[in-house]
Amino acid sequence: MTSAYIPIDSADSPLGRHASTTQRVGVTLPFNDERHLLASRWLVDEAYILDHQEYPAWLELLTEDIHYYMPIKVTTALGAGFDTAPEMAHFDEDKYSLSRRVARFATEHAWTEDPPSRLRHFVTNVRTFATDREDELVVDSAVLLFRSRGDVREHALVSAGREDLLRHEDETWRLARRHIAVDESVIRMQNLAIFL
Amino acid sequence: MSDHASVFADVRQGMIPAHIYNDRELFELERDRLFARSWMFVAHESELPQPGDYVVRKVLDDSFIVSRADNGEIRVMFNMCLHRGMQICRAEMGNASHFRCPYHGWSYRNDGRIVGLPFHKEAYGGEDGFNRKGQTLLPAPSLDTYNGLIFVSLDPEAPSLRDFLGDFAFYLDYYTKQSASGIELRGPQRWRIKANWKIGAENFAGDMYHTPQTHTSVVEIGLFREPKAEKRKDGTTYWAGNGGGTTYKLPPGTLEERLAYVGYPDEMIDRMKQSWSPQQRSVIGENGFMVSAASVFPNLSFVHNWPKVQDSDEVLPFISLRQWQPISEDETEVLSWFAVDKEAPEEFKALSYKAYLMCFGSTGMFEQDDVENWVSLTNTAAGSMARRLRLNSRMGMLSDGAPVTPPLSQEEYAGPGTAYVGYSEYNQRHLLQRWADYVERPAGDVDAVSVGRQDAAAIIRGENVEEAR
Repeated sequence: MTSAYIPIDSADSPLGRHASTTQRVGVTLPFNDERHLLASRWLVDEAYILDHQEYPAWLELLTEDIHYYMPIKVTTALGAGFDTAPEMAHFDEDKYSLSRRVARFATEHAWTEDPPSRLRHFVTNVRTFATDREDELVVDSAVLLFRSRGDVREHALVSAGREDLLRHEDETWRLARRHIAVDESVIRMQNLAIFL
Repeated sequence: MSDHASVFADVRQGMIPAHIYNDRELFELERDRLFARSWMFVAHESELPQPGDYVVRKVLDDSFIVSRADNGEIRVMFNMCLHRGMQICRAEMGNASHFRCPYHGWSYRNDGRIVGLPFHKEAYGGEDGFNRKGQTLLPAPSLDTYNGLIFVSLDPEAPSLRDFLGDFAFYLDYYTKQSASGIELRGPQRWRIKANWKIGAENFAGDMYHTPQTHTSVVEIGLFREPKAEKRKDGTTYWAGNGGGTTYKLPPGTLEERLAYVGYPDEMIDRMKQSWSPQQRSVIGENGFMVSAASVFPNLSFVHNWPKVQDSDEVLPFISLRQWQPISEDETEVLSWFAVDKEAPEEFKALSYKAYLMCFGSTGMFEQDDVENWVSLTNTAAGSMARRLRLNSRMGMLSDGAPVTPPLSQEEYAGPGTAYVGYSEYNQRHLLQRWADYVERPAGDVDAVSVGRQDAAAIIRGENVEEAR
């Protein structure tokens, strides 16, 4: 049977050559495994940082070689073999481009977030996988972002799946790669001045 | 429906009744009188490189399959099965030799010809009951291309696309013909904003005035070589034919030096020199102006800019093409593509793509602040106070209509059309005056198309029981 699920690969991006190629090994780690517990805690802590828009702190959580990648979802026939727009994305970021985005929010003139949005990242369905490296874990999660602006404007939602690569370095865990599988082809949010 | 004569009269004076940015009645007139008549961009040929490749694109509510047939020709077909009206292709893109309707199984080749009609003989009595021979999916009433840009018009009597574009074609070449091979177009990013479609089209056509305010943050974070956004006022706005745009003034230098200044490598500069006319080269090389944002009436826009893409002093140019697809009077779907010259080096293509993502599109740092403004404007234009307010869109003109600064002479500006240095709203006025010309003119009758019948009069026997008695 043809699978409807097509994984995201950094190698498909014109900017993904530097990305880590570490893959998951084996089945989901037990939910009481120490590695799963630390990955879950990491994601929840990150969600609060993003909700609070503490973006300089978020930048500290990213490795220097991060590939932060959200391709454009397109509707294709079952069996087409692809469901993202070729060589194009919403986010296709390295540390430099993310640092500019964060720096912009820190200016007094990023009008789109003044007044700021109310953000809530709901993170669930977390599962963790070992890799062939001691210092790296692959973590899947689902994220639903609720964003409210102004008083009576309708809120906006973005739903996505994420596959993260967490790496242990300098006594801490950092995000080394994030693949975001957005669930809509047409984004129903005025801009993506947010992070998932 | 109320009489909008005063609206059009005000617009022609450069005074804009604020409610035109959120008005149901005007939106319906735009749909019937403007978008049903104008040329509308649907795709670029590079999105369909192989026979069988297709994308599905809309002109307001009408869905079209844009397909490259097996003989290489581009076809644009209304995405509706000739039988019961089912949407025949429900994917957004792909490759197909045939499209088969999931409802009753009628099938069509990728050039639109009907090839499969289950039980044609048993159900219809063959050709006598349903004339299958020569039937195709309904083609777009008019289809034409320029530099590989595919346009359709719902008006079968539309003038040629080249006539429609007029002198703006001169400027289109800067964005879409940097070499003989033209561009490859990637995307689009698609997202919906609660803003009226006209605002984006006007902004890209000529609003240099918003740059120092709206986009302060992007300059502050060091994304550009010039430390001040006020640089914008040294550039021009120009209007030519059916579109207009803005330019930046570049530092002194030759054509080659100026193209290198914005980040083009030598090999691309060589190809541009071969592709562009002496007049096109003069605007940059002699006059020192480099194209930036632009709009083709009614809702297709372009942007060209050159940010830093890594932690160095080097800049790199990108080109984006976008459409403001109207959904309703207060909602627009933005389709934003990245364009790059097909012959550009791979390394350039990758970094140009990065430059685009940082600046424009769903995540772009310029775009983020633009959309926030346009949503607010649209929202505020909905009420009764907005119906009293005539916004002054006369920037660049004195009370008697004389220009604040005279237009550039042929020596100062080699491009076609009329160009002015500095802030003005000439282009926004051009755009809205064209808008008034279309929206004011009543729509004509449209010929109906009957499917599968050779004779005009429909004959139905024995079905109406009352009549049979």
